Amino acid sequence: MANDVAFLEAGALARLVREKKLSPVELVGIYLDRIDRFDHRLRAYITVCREEALETARRAEASVMRGESVGPLHGLPFAVKDQFAARGVRTTQGSRLFASTVADRDATVVARLKHAGGILLGKLNLTEFALGGAQEFPFGQPRNPWNEEHDPGGSSSGSGIATAAALAAVTLGEDTGGSIRSPAGWCGAVGVRPTWGRVSRAGVFPLCWSMDAAGPLGRTVEDAALLLGVIAGRDDADPTTSRRAVPDYVAGLRRDLSGVRLGVINELVAGADPDMRSALEAAAALLRRLGAVVDSVSLPLVPMAGAVFMAIADSEGAGLHRPWLRERGAEYDRGTRRRLLTAALLPAAAYHQAVRARALIRAQVHEALRRHDALLAPMAPTAAPLIASARAPITSRDEAARRFFTRRSFGTPASLAGVPALSVPCGFTSSGLPLGLQILGRPFDEATILAVAHAYEQATDWHHRHPPLD
Amino acid sequence: MSELTVEHVRAMANALTLPVQDDDLAEVTHRLNAFLAALEPLAELSLETVEPLPSWLELE
Repeated sequence: MANDVAFLEAGALARLVREKKLSPVELVGIYLDRIDRFDHRLRAYITVCREEALETARRAEASVMRGESVGPLHGLPFAVKDQFAARGVRTTQGSRLFASTVADRDATVVARLKHAGGILLGKLNLTEFALGGAQEFPFGQPRNPWNEEHDPGGSSSGSGIATAAALAAVTLGEDTGGSIRSPAGWCGAVGVRPTWGRVSRAGVFPLCWSMDAAGPLGRTVEDAALLLGVIAGRDDADPTTSRRAVPDYVAGLRRDLSGVRLGVINELVAGADPDMRSALEAAAALLRRLGAVVDSVSLPLVPMAGAVFMAIADSEGAGLHRPWLRERGAEYDRGTRRRLLTAALLPAAAYHQAVRARALIRAQVHEALRRHDALLAPMAPTAAPLIASARAPITSRDEAARRFFTRRSFGTPASLAGVPALSVPCGFTSSGLPLGLQILGRPFDEATILAVAHAYEQATDWHHRHPPLD
Repeated sequence: MSELTVEHVRAMANALTLPVQDDDLAEVTHRLNAFLAALEPLAELSLETVEPLPSWLELE
């Protein structure tokens, strides 16, 4: 019974709380119990705010019982990547360098979730400084809930795990080059990277100012839509946020797909393995049956997106980390340190070329989106790889290129173009690992990609399957 | 394109006062060579007239 409740949709949980059929204290207890039972294996959490969450839940329960007006997330336990500041809570960035740093204020998105009635359950594991490529995790190795020998994806690793394994109702992640969508895809959850400028980054530790984007993860599209509606919108603390009105994403989900034009990105399908290719082809066929007009689209520069992205994002990151690399280099994970040192040595001319190439990739993505309402692609070339494969030493230039650039060419086109994108579960490999369908949309048109994903999700049963943890 | 050697990378790091330890040097060299090789095809694109704007900008 408790398991059934833990996996309920966020909107349904909030409704039960509002209708006094489910106590927030009981709900927090259900997730805390699951954290106790499973997180010593999965390591989704860095910090669990046990007492604070229970105390907040007691106040939330009293508020409901008094019949007070409550927010849309009232009583809903959420968790955030440990890249987001939360007042009074340790905020580590997944690094030994910040192991005992306590934030003195909430990130805007955390404050908005709390204001909507959400209860902060804890802070979630990530690859160090949200960079990806960490070899060791100072707060425990995060593991894929579908097979613990496999990578959960990153950098929002804990957000993917906690969402898929129901260790929280919903979570937040941050996506610079796929860091929400990758763990969502590999863990079997829904993850949304909003348009750059749609969601505030105030209080979110930066990696790359021109691509960082905070966004929601949920077990269903509706969960992600609900959360996005709460966190999106102008924030004076982040001058890059847009003043555009925020639509009701949940109300917009039930849209007829008749005539909706979808383009499958050829180059990314060609780069995927047979499992991923057949899942994508089946998804495209299903979307056709739902009324969408699906054709293929060529974006010739997309295979270079991974290298272009890393030249830009890593250079920006290296600039930020340079003083710490000099003074406290030994405290970094060796994978993080080597990635940042490499970027610090990259010639400025290469960075400048990459920024210009980015403009061309962006133009190709935007041109395709003038002819299509949304684009479809695999979220990754394969399902989650073995954790051990990421730890193997890099012994050649080609190995470095294969490991770092190839996979990143799948998640980074949306980042480089500044457009919204999401990952929604689209099947499983024969060994039982989830696969993710990526949907990219026009700037500030999250509503369309959510509607396409929702129609697809409702016509499948992937979201009803749960990781085999017991 | 010829590849950078460990000695090249050590010299670059020293010039920039970056503390690249011996343990890290070989892998940083492989990574840097991978970067330079991956970005080399950009030279074939006509980038001279491309405005290097960082992002899609919304004019308000």
